[in-house]
Amino acid sequence: MQFLGRERPELKLSFLLCALFLALILAYPLFSILRLAFIGEQGFTLSYITDALTRDSFYTAFLNSFKVSALVALLATAIGFFAAYGLSFCAFKNKTRSLIEVVLLLPLFLPSITYGFAVIYSFGRQGLITRAIGQLPFSIYGFAGLVIAGVIYTLPPAFMIMQNSFAYVDRNFVTVSKVMGDGLLRQFYQTALRPTLGSLVSAFILAFFLNFTDFGIPTSIAGRYDVIATRLYATMMGAVPDFNNGSVIALSMLIPSIISVVILRRCSRLNFRYNKISKEPPAPNRLRDTCFGTFYALLSLLLIGVFAIIFIVPFVKSWPYQAYFTLDTIRRVFAENDIAGTYINSLGVAAASALCGTALCYLAGMVNARSKLPGWCKALMDIFAMVTNIVPGMVLGVGFLFAFSGTALANTFAILVLANVVHFFTTPYLMAQQAFSKMNAGFETTAALMGDTWFQTLRRVVIPNSFGTILQMFSYLFVNSMVTISAIVFLVGAYTQVTTSKIKELQYFEKFDAIFTLSVLIFITNVAVKLLIDGYGAYQRHRQNHSAK
Amino acid sequence: MLELVNLKKAFGSHVVLDDISLTVPTGEIVSILGPSGCGKTTLLNVILGLTELTSGKIIYDGVDLSSVPMKKRGFNIVFQDFALFPNLNAYDNIVYGLRNNKNASTPAEVNDLIDLLNLREHLSKRIDELSGGQKQRVAIARTLVMKPKVLLLDEPLSALDGLIKESIKERIKTIARQFNLTTIIVTHDPEEALSLSDRVLILNNGKVAQYAEPKTIIHAPESSFIKDFILKQLMIKRDNIFRLFDSTMPAVPAMSYMQTAAASA
Repeated sequence: MQFLGRERPELKLSFLLCALFLALILAYPLFSILRLAFIGEQGFTLSYITDALTRDSFYTAFLNSFKVSALVALLATAIGFFAAYGLSFCAFKNKTRSLIEVVLLLPLFLPSITYGFAVIYSFGRQGLITRAIGQLPFSIYGFAGLVIAGVIYTLPPAFMIMQNSFAYVDRNFVTVSKVMGDGLLRQFYQTALRPTLGSLVSAFILAFFLNFTDFGIPTSIAGRYDVIATRLYATMMGAVPDFNNGSVIALSMLIPSIISVVILRRCSRLNFRYNKISKEPPAPNRLRDTCFGTFYALLSLLLIGVFAIIFIVPFVKSWPYQAYFTLDTIRRVFAENDIAGTYINSLGVAAASALCGTALCYLAGMVNARSKLPGWCKALMDIFAMVTNIVPGMVLGVGFLFAFSGTALANTFAILVLANVVHFFTTPYLMAQQAFSKMNAGFETTAALMGDTWFQTLRRVVIPNSFGTILQMFSYLFVNSMVTISAIVFLVGAYTQVTTSKIKELQYFEKFDAIFTLSVLIFITNVAVKLLIDGYGAYQRHRQNHSAK
Repeated sequence: MLELVNLKKAFGSHVVLDDISLTVPTGEIVSILGPSGCGKTTLLNVILGLTELTSGKIIYDGVDLSSVPMKKRGFNIVFQDFALFPNLNAYDNIVYGLRNNKNASTPAEVNDLIDLLNLREHLSKRIDELSGGQKQRVAIARTLVMKPKVLLLDEPLSALDGLIKESIKERIKTIARQFNLTTIIVTHDPEEALSLSDRVLILNNGKVAQYAEPKTIIHAPESSFIKDFILKQLMIKRDNIFRLFDSTMPAVPAMSYMQTAAASA
């Protein structure tokens, strides 16, 4: 392994392991899509591309996706911006603040496919919200439903980006702006809009990308309104599958992602950060605080109104006609649909994905940030992270289907775990890389001089000093593996159903009580895992702080 | 005795260390002094074994260590930022090396070290509860437990302030004398180098500008570089301090050095 320079063999091995593994589960599936899109019986051909491009259905689906996603991104970014702005500039109590944050982030713990059904049940003819505000002038199936569910789906990430951005905005500038005699609009622009402009663009792009590539929402609520995600699914898994056409559609899904990445790189330059942030809480302002208070109340009511139905349906006799509490429904649901088996499958897949994913991202982060391997080795890890970030789950799923059908991997739990690991690689990898670059650069050398082997240093120094990050990586991977459907919908077999794919199957039989029961299970599990991991991390920190005394 | 023979280190075509040869008698303190980018940290890393030599030899007590890996050289280092493990308390940091090599130091020796470095009352503290000087002492203790043949210190005083600096200086001297320990210190501060060490190695652009005892450097600087960048600084400091204490001005004012510097430039 001379070409890897002078570095411990363990790190060289880690690099080779990560590189080969990611080549197999990322590069090879993507290559398989390209092969099906460009290689016909007579070798290289563009006919599949031209064939796809001449179909009206393709344009309609692509344009529809584009329209819905643009509107969703606009709404989610605007709401996210004002939600974050209010939290930063209004004089709320800390408890109120945390409560608002929790409510806004709730959707993260549920699969997107559930949002669609929840929206149908809330805004539909007998829905909770419809009853409260009266009949809607439009049908919930199709465009309107997609937009409502899409906004709920993309609001948490948009809000998180904006909140992170506002954390770097100094409120003292409001005072400066006021004494300089700025009018309200100019003050708003100078102290809130301009400093967060870069993040605003990022939030828009991310929301657009997430919505464009999501499969859960369209499959539940799109109805006959054709979007690219449902078109891809129908082409691949329909009565007459057309793999060549499917691969072209999959490639077309990459276009917005690639544009997103390019724009995101550009707009990071728009951001500016005040290097010193005053900790001074905002001064109370009756009018402003009341306005924002009302805004949060309405927003929370809407979110809770939509999600409440998920927790009501399993526990009443028959929604909405016999709406009294009973456990009969949930008993029946468990007895009829193998809910327990599917749920256990999901737990296993999520836990295995979190475990393998954490290990892989940790090693890759170490190669990147804590080794003296040649520059190209480190760059390769970054490239993998960038590519996994670009490739939508559905495209990955299609790639896996092409690459591994007929192999021993097909229809196993292992293939689901692999798909999850590569699908969610970027974020935990960046978490690890960041933790490693903050860690003292002298640890490994010092420990080696004290006689440690590489593994001893890993066990005694590196892991204990990045334990909080490891827990966060695990938690991220677990929750995301529990709620994802886009990649695995192509890969589940008859014996490897997980909760989200089961929901899709149950939709066919219109068993909404079972769908909501599964959703409740996913939600409770995710919240429990999150609380458990956060609690354990806090306990570890506490113990470390006090054992020393 | 540590001998460096025609050391050369190049990164690609960029030569960082060029033909460095010198001898360090056992038990002496040697400071490596020079402006940033002169190659002093690279020289330290080369001696430690962290960085590979391009050519030349490192000989300790007659044994050629040039191709011996870092872990087997028996040298040890205290980094500028100490690299203490935050998950362990002060004591566990100090005895870290004993887990791998139980016989490196006896319990009695560890105890003596703790007292010598005045760390008894800080043993159960977390790393972030220690002051800069305490961290430095813990890091030195952790290294000395391994009984290194040569102790390398990278900018040991730059993270410390005021009085603590002087007390750590004294302690480094005490340790070198007590253990007859060859100590090599990297620093960018002439005052530190000249007041702390038996010999000073001045590097400029990867070459030896002068290697001599502090007095020789003060009284017989071998190049205008040493005059301009090292002695001038000391003169200004001295003048300022004299002025503060209202003493008579020294015989040779710093200004005269500056004028020669200007003339030679």
